[in-house]
Amino acid sequence: MKSLTIRRSLLAAAALAVVLPMTAQARCDKLVNAKAGEINIIGATFPALQHIAKEMETCTQGGVKVAFKMSSNSRTETEQAFAVAGASPFDAAVISNGLFPALNGKGQLQPMTDLVEKYKAKYKIEENMLVRVNGQVMAIAFMQNSLNLFYRKDLFDKHGIKVPTTYTEMLAAAKVIKEKEPSIEFPIAQTFAKGWDSGKEFVDLYVGMGGKLFKAGSAQPDFNNDVGVRTLDLMKTMTQYMTPNYLASNSDDVTNQFQQGKAAMGVFWASRGSRMDDPAVSKVVGKIEFAAAPAMTVGGKPASHMWWDGVVMPKNMKGDRDTVFQVLMEALDEDTTKKGNDLATWVRSAYKPTRFATGVAANAKAGTPIWPTEPYAGLAQGELGKVVADALAGTTSNKAALDTAAAAYVRVATEQGYIK
Amino acid sequence: MKTSTFARFVAPSVLLMLSLLAMPLAVTFYLSVRNCTFDMETVTVQQSSPFGTTETTTQRARVDADGKPIQNCRFVGTAYFKSVLGLTGESGQASGAAQEPPAQTAGSDTAASGTSTNAAKAASQNSQEFIGALRFTLLYTLVTTPLVIIFGFFIALGVHHSAQRLKPIFITLSLLPFIITPIVGALAIKWLFRDGGLVPHVLSQFGLSIYWMAEAWSARLLVILYGVWQSTPFAFIVFYAGLQSVPQDSLEAATIDGATRWQKLIYITLPHLMPLVLFVALIKIMDSYRVFEPVVVLTQGAFTTSVQYLTYHILSVENNPYKASASAVLTTLGIGVLIIPMLYKTWKEQRSGR
Repeated sequence: MKSLTIRRSLLAAAALAVVLPMTAQARCDKLVNAKAGEINIIGATFPALQHIAKEMETCTQGGVKVAFKMSSNSRTETEQAFAVAGASPFDAAVISNGLFPALNGKGQLQPMTDLVEKYKAKYKIEENMLVRVNGQVMAIAFMQNSLNLFYRKDLFDKHGIKVPTTYTEMLAAAKVIKEKEPSIEFPIAQTFAKGWDSGKEFVDLYVGMGGKLFKAGSAQPDFNNDVGVRTLDLMKTMTQYMTPNYLASNSDDVTNQFQQGKAAMGVFWASRGSRMDDPAVSKVVGKIEFAAAPAMTVGGKPASHMWWDGVVMPKNMKGDRDTVFQVLMEALDEDTTKKGNDLATWVRSAYKPTRFATGVAANAKAGTPIWPTEPYAGLAQGELGKVVADALAGTTSNKAALDTAAAAYVRVATEQGYIK
Repeated sequence: MKTSTFARFVAPSVLLMLSLLAMPLAVTFYLSVRNCTFDMETVTVQQSSPFGTTETTTQRARVDADGKPIQNCRFVGTAYFKSVLGLTGESGQASGAAQEPPAQTAGSDTAASGTSTNAAKAASQNSQEFIGALRFTLLYTLVTTPLVIIFGFFIALGVHHSAQRLKPIFITLSLLPFIITPIVGALAIKWLFRDGGLVPHVLSQFGLSIYWMAEAWSARLLVILYGVWQSTPFAFIVFYAGLQSVPQDSLEAATIDGATRWQKLIYITLPHLMPLVLFVALIKIMDSYRVFEPVVVLTQGAFTTSVQYLTYHILSVENNPYKASASAVLTTLGIGVLIIPMLYKTWKEQRSGR
């Protein structure tokens, strides 16, 4: 799950329009008892998914037709489709673990345990791909993602800076770059844009500092405290090394800042890594390296989270669940991973890691936690995303901003039945 | 005309209006006074993913015999309207239970008093948020509308008086901002103004360094500039069409009487176009009040939240279609209030049979 940026979706849509007409090799020629009909699937817009969507749509054997909807707003569309009282317009969705808890918590997902057993051998479904809740398979993950450190190896070598492992070291590195490297005006680039992005940054850093989002065993907020205030202090310090436009810097802008050679370091989506080496849009081809996200303390876990993207089926699906499952597995087979090897950090063991995946692997190895699994975490992130900008801009104090977010979160969580 | 004949003539229009205009409004209103919540229970679950297995205490919806999640839907009256406006929570917390949309009847927990102070805070922040959004929406509407009319008029005048051969080119060029999808247009403008974009680059040549999305004044100016750029073509094409029907004999008579170009413009052309000015203002106000794309694309809502941005947040971040419906109904009411003066004028003109 990445930010709902519209630019990216447009680019992706444009790319998709070019890619789709190309025909891939025939798929689904071995479907078992396939029920003819149209299968509708929804997902977000990123390169690996375009690749998968293409694979899915070639599945036309036995009267099966797959329509894959790529949407910049897939998160909302999926939530609404899976919640309707009648049949869902989508038979399956590609979601991230950012959305999974909310759907699973509301009991809207279809367990797939039996189907996994039935087709495990045929599609080489690996245990690692299975997202289980109390043993039941509720989703099948195909790729990993996380925010890890991007840094300009050439500049770090030039000034003798070692790769930062803590935020203190990162700020020190930024200071050196700012003083000694005139080509870099703003050393740090991170997605501090108001909304989803800055909410996510806060959660990454706050949890990295040892903060808890919720009171133990309840949906009551617990982020308006001293750790939260210190998190905002850190974010404010970081903004000194960022473009003053940081409140509008989303994933696309940060990508651009790196590609144009304007940024020297930052914790950023691994899935954007390969774009740094696209000579058509990047001035820094081969100059950016990747490492684990810095921690808050020496030897601590990276202040970041692990993400997965995977497929789910709704309880209220219209199509034949067995057929839909087979189509999904066809599109997520080893062949797909091999063909799109460089597009993502795939979960399958057939994946050959590229240098763009080094940061994700380092994050995973260092014990980076998985993104919060509470179904109401997205609500807290959303409310934080609204006020972090105010605190950073200095229009309100850190504590007041967090109190506001906590109170607003209580309101929306109460409206939705999480807090009684 | 016989009543039955009359009915047959108007029936198709009435049906279309009912299904395309009245129905969606009615459904939105119906949703806005309701709320559905899942029956959540606290559970401890073991969850495995590609990153290992964790045990977490979380919440899950209770399910019925068929395995379907149980939902409680009920009428909540104006609770969501108050919530959007930030009116709940500040007073009447004692009778608050009825106002709080989803308050479950069963069991008040120990944190109840904490929750109600929180609710009060949330409400007051909510109202600040709504007022902030309304303030920028109104600023945007009141600044862009006159500018769009003025620029649109002068461009129309310019094209009208240009050489016949060049007209198609000028018209096409002038219409471009209006033809481009708003989000694409807003993106193009953002790319012009962000770090390393053309505008900051050119300004830096003159020693000016402005970070357009970094401060309130520049972020607001940027959104307003976009609004003017995007809507001026609409005013232009309406006025240009209007200019084609300015009575030539009046203009010629004025010329013979020795009127200057300016006098002809003021005393003949402008009065002729007045109904169109009113029309453009009406459409533009309705359109501006729903400003959304530039806010979410150019500034991501920093310093520039609008009423529609709030609706978007409620629908897509809070994922609450009921509250979002209330917000949408309030937007419709807001537009209604803004265009009352113009509707009144039209109504008066209709009555006087002009």
